[in-house]
Amino acid sequence: MKKFLRSREALITGLLILLILFTGLFNSNIFKFNSITEIFNASLTLVLISLGEMFVIFTRGIDVSVGATTGLAAVILGTTLNLGWPIEWAISAAIVTGILAGMVNAVGITFLRVPPIIMTLGTLGIYRGLMRIITGGSWIENLPQSIKEPNLWKFAGIPFYVWLTLLVIAITAWITLKYKPARYFYAVGDNEQGAYILGIPVRLTLFAAYTLAGFFAALAAVVFTSQIGFVSMNAADGFELKAIAANVLGGVSLTGGIGTPLGAAIGALFMTAVHSMLIFLGVPGIWDNAFAGVILLTVVYIDYHVRSALELQRRQARIRGDASLKGGES
Amino acid sequence: MNWTRYLRTWEFALVVLLVVEILILGMINPTFLNAENLLYATLDFTHILFAALPLTLVIITAGIDISSVSVMGLASITLGLAWVAGINIFVALAIALLVGIIAGLFNGFFVAKTDVNPLVITLGTLFMFAGIAQGMPALLDLLGFKAYGSAGLAAYQYEGITGLPDSFIGLSEATVWIIPYPFIAVLIFAVILSLLLHKTRFGRYLYLIGVNPKAAVYSGVPVQKTLIWAYVLSGFGAALAGSYLTAYFTSARADLGGDALLPIITAVVLGGADILGGSGTIWGTLLAGLVLGFLRQGLLAIGVTNDLIQVVMGAVLVTAMAVKQLMNVYGEYRLNRKALANKERG
Repeated sequence: MKKFLRSREALITGLLILLILFTGLFNSNIFKFNSITEIFNASLTLVLISLGEMFVIFTRGIDVSVGATTGLAAVILGTTLNLGWPIEWAISAAIVTGILAGMVNAVGITFLRVPPIIMTLGTLGIYRGLMRIITGGSWIENLPQSIKEPNLWKFAGIPFYVWLTLLVIAITAWITLKYKPARYFYAVGDNEQGAYILGIPVRLTLFAAYTLAGFFAALAAVVFTSQIGFVSMNAADGFELKAIAANVLGGVSLTGGIGTPLGAAIGALFMTAVHSMLIFLGVPGIWDNAFAGVILLTVVYIDYHVRSALELQRRQARIRGDASLKGGES
Repeated sequence: MNWTRYLRTWEFALVVLLVVEILILGMINPTFLNAENLLYATLDFTHILFAALPLTLVIITAGIDISSVSVMGLASITLGLAWVAGINIFVALAIALLVGIIAGLFNGFFVAKTDVNPLVITLGTLFMFAGIAQGMPALLDLLGFKAYGSAGLAAYQYEGITGLPDSFIGLSEATVWIIPYPFIAVLIFAVILSLLLHKTRFGRYLYLIGVNPKAAVYSGVPVQKTLIWAYVLSGFGAALAGSYLTAYFTSARADLGGDALLPIITAVVLGGADILGGSGTIWGTLLAGLVLGFLRQGLLAIGVTNDLIQVVMGAVLVTAMAVKQLMNVYGEYRLNRKALANKERG
């Protein structure tokens, strides 16, 4: 418990609660049950994309194509649905698109050895271009009711997609904690050569990370399309950057090997909540980006100082020969 | 020295690529083989060059600055607002460039004083600068200052702050003989940066920081100061790009340059800079920027749509990198083989 309280997840959850309380001072509507579930509901796309991005960041990589992958998968979903495909097939097609998009990144990064930022920046352009080529640049509208329906389902007053996303977070969290190969992501990110020497399949792990990013982006596309009810050409535009910001906020370190799915999800929730809070406070939407930027910079700055202070403490302890801290040294 | 030879061939390859490309374009459409038309065509991507050239310095230090696309919009809107406030347009231009420098200082301080990844920092400032650029006109309007220009809010949302004086707008079209002013500015900027990078101690520091920051610290390199300067130059270049776009599109907008991130980074990387730091040249970036810019122009000229061009650009970036990386791997493999052969003989 003490460990949790000192974690980034706790810091960001605390900030989130403070933010809600602060907003509540000016507009008590925020405390209504519906307002809270609405914030959760609005954050789902970003939560799912961020979970996929998390695996890549674990391995010390970066994927700036996830937003475009979501857009592409949404276009495939919308197009196949309007062609009259049954909904299960259309969703499968979208998921396969996401996985393939992720695998293209994976091939470039693991086999052709293109640095991740370059590879995914290239595919960002490619996927966005493909989106427009498939649709001819027009929006996909008049989607069948079958895809919009699940968005209205509720269990115990909470939307179906919130439950679904919570389930996905729980599964991801359980897997990353308990399933041994999932720890490979951390090992590769922490020390790639060390992991290689230990016999971990480094290439395969990297391959899996980028494929998972594509898979989660496609999941996000399904939720996104269902919630919005149409696919615009700038669907999920800029979500790649928001997903990276969400991960950093949630304590997933870009230096690799550190972080949890819970952190990534809370980070994404936080990013969305800021947007909702500004609406509740009556601040025009144009200030969204400025606030998101300031909060991201503030959090990493605080985190840097906390880390430096802890490091200093540890060093001083070592000089004093403090036995109680020696254990955690190595 | 093996790597200098490698770099030289890379730039030479770019020159060859540029010439071949122009010849092919000329075969498709003979108007391309006219120097005046070619120079005029550069106006379409001058802003990419302005931003990419100083970004090379940042990438050499193993850093990155993705906030430059927001700085473009911020500089543009600053220029417009200053002019609406009744300030002389050239003073307004100076203010816009100053804003770019301040933005760069902010990035530079944050990068130099903390160990936070530059990508995260400039991601934060990307959001922040874009937000400020979008919010500033609204805030000023709220305070009773007619920030949207004479035409009001509706016109502002549609086309930004318009009605800038001809003396400023004309700068984007004026020429010396057949060379457009903006292209001359690019060349001057490139010469200055290249002298800085290749002829001064500052330039060598940049490479050393990129190769091994710890070694740089221990050999007494002023790492923090050098890093701050690199980001300041990047901010300045982005502000130049934003101001140029303002004149080129004859209006000041907060979202100018928003889609320039991919071409800017492509130009630097295709120009031979290593995203992991330690290598790169100004002339490489300039040549790569020209190759990409003319490629885009050529594809547009033969009727390729903008969407497909985006796909082609992405593919060019990925392919170029893959070829370069595989060549590196092959080169190492050959050296290993040679070393083994020598050992057997010796």
